[in-house]
Amino acid sequence: MTAVSIRGLTKRFGAVTAVDDLTVDLTPGVTGFLGPNGAGKTTILRLILGLIRPTAGTALIDGHRYADLPHPRRTVGALLEASGFHPGRTGRQTLRIAARLAGLPDSRIDAVLDQVDLTTTANRRVGTYSLGMRQRLGLAAALLGDPQVLMLDEPGNGLDPAGMAWLRGLLRDLAAHGRTVVVSSHVLAEVAQTADRIVIVHQGTVRFAGAIDALAGPAALEAEFLRLTAGAAPAAEGSTR
Amino acid sequence: MSTLMRAEWLKLRTTRSPWLLLSASLATIIVGVSGLMARIDNPGDPVTQQRAIAHLGLVSLFTLVLGITATAGEHRHRTISDTYLAVPQRHRVVWAKLAVYTAAGIVSGIAAAAGALATTAIWLVARGFSLDLASTDLWLTVAGGIAWNAAFAAIGIGVGALITNQNAAIATALAWLALVEGLVGQLIGDAQRWLPFALGSALDRLPTVTDGPVQWQAGLALGAYAAAFAVAAVLTSVRRDVT
Repeated sequence: MTAVSIRGLTKRFGAVTAVDDLTVDLTPGVTGFLGPNGAGKTTILRLILGLIRPTAGTALIDGHRYADLPHPRRTVGALLEASGFHPGRTGRQTLRIAARLAGLPDSRIDAVLDQVDLTTTANRRVGTYSLGMRQRLGLAAALLGDPQVLMLDEPGNGLDPAGMAWLRGLLRDLAAHGRTVVVSSHVLAEVAQTADRIVIVHQGTVRFAGAIDALAGPAALEAEFLRLTAGAAPAAEGSTR
Repeated sequence: MSTLMRAEWLKLRTTRSPWLLLSASLATIIVGVSGLMARIDNPGDPVTQQRAIAHLGLVSLFTLVLGITATAGEHRHRTISDTYLAVPQRHRVVWAKLAVYTAAGIVSGIAAAAGALATTAIWLVARGFSLDLASTDLWLTVAGGIAWNAAFAAIGIGVGALITNQNAAIATALAWLALVEGLVGQLIGDAQRWLPFALGSALDRLPTVTDGPVQWQAGLALGAYAAAFAVAAVLTSVRRDVT
């Protein structure tokens, strides 16, 4: 079982506090990471992944900082943005580079291309891909190392309804195999269908962390989300910190 | 070759910009050499031949841009996140790029040398002369020109890591070569011979260089610039937040 443990995580950019003394555990299953624009979701994911240096606090994956993981891409897969590709490379070349950087065998490339249904377009330049195809490519890159932890920032962006259904199935399947899947999203109804737990973040702090069952249905989730992300920080609730 | 260097090599050969830069480099040499050899009165003079061959060093401008695209280009296309996720020890990324792109600079320099030698030879034959391949000066210029291409590729890695906005990095580098080095040179007097372009010119044994350092000194000094930029690149890369 691989879990992510975040303790007192703080990040200040100059005078702006983007993440403020955040403490939360992310455990196997699908965790919906919710928050309004600018809540700090992406910054938190990048802090966990070592792309941003924390001002204070720690984010540990299986007890290790990301940078200290012996095989980071075999432990954690990440999709951070669908625009993070060179437009002149093909999908397959992009994955070959990712595999080579991570020391993974080329045999994984066909497996993940098949997994995200990009096999037939893998030899096209990424610059010709739709946003949905780039999301699938990003997911393929995240899955290359067959990791136990997946951190996915808005993976549903650009996916059509069929794509969303496919993504939902993929996430549930990954969780069913004991993986820790963290999905940031704005689409509350989608999260309500997929997630086992939710973490609601606002102004860099956790406003709610707990089982989605604690909130009865998508309508209740939206009402609770709007209440928790409006104005000043409310008191702790449920398993809220 | 390490896994990381193989990955950098794969990155290099799966984009079009290296080939475009190499093509531009060869086209510049052909035009430059032709411009000289078509009109000069004494094409058979060894100094003229060396001047023609020395064009290969001037195209180090393109290997400088190549180096910049290797580092700043990763920020431009936002592939840097994926690179650092695979290799969180960021200094290793910088060193791998430095090794691969210095080698690419050497290869580009060799291609430029071949282009300069061939173009010069063709013009000489057309005008009834032949290239003096026994000239030591000519081969010292060839070696120095290749080294200049390699050193500027390495410096480009550092420039691109320090200025991660690719357009700004290229504009800064070109402005330095076209204008700023000359202005700084006026301020610092004799020390100007130790500035990067002046050192490259001395390394290339450009006939226009009359009082620069000797070739091996210029090579060492340019190598020191590349090392200084590399260290600065590592120090800034390991601390920079990738947002």
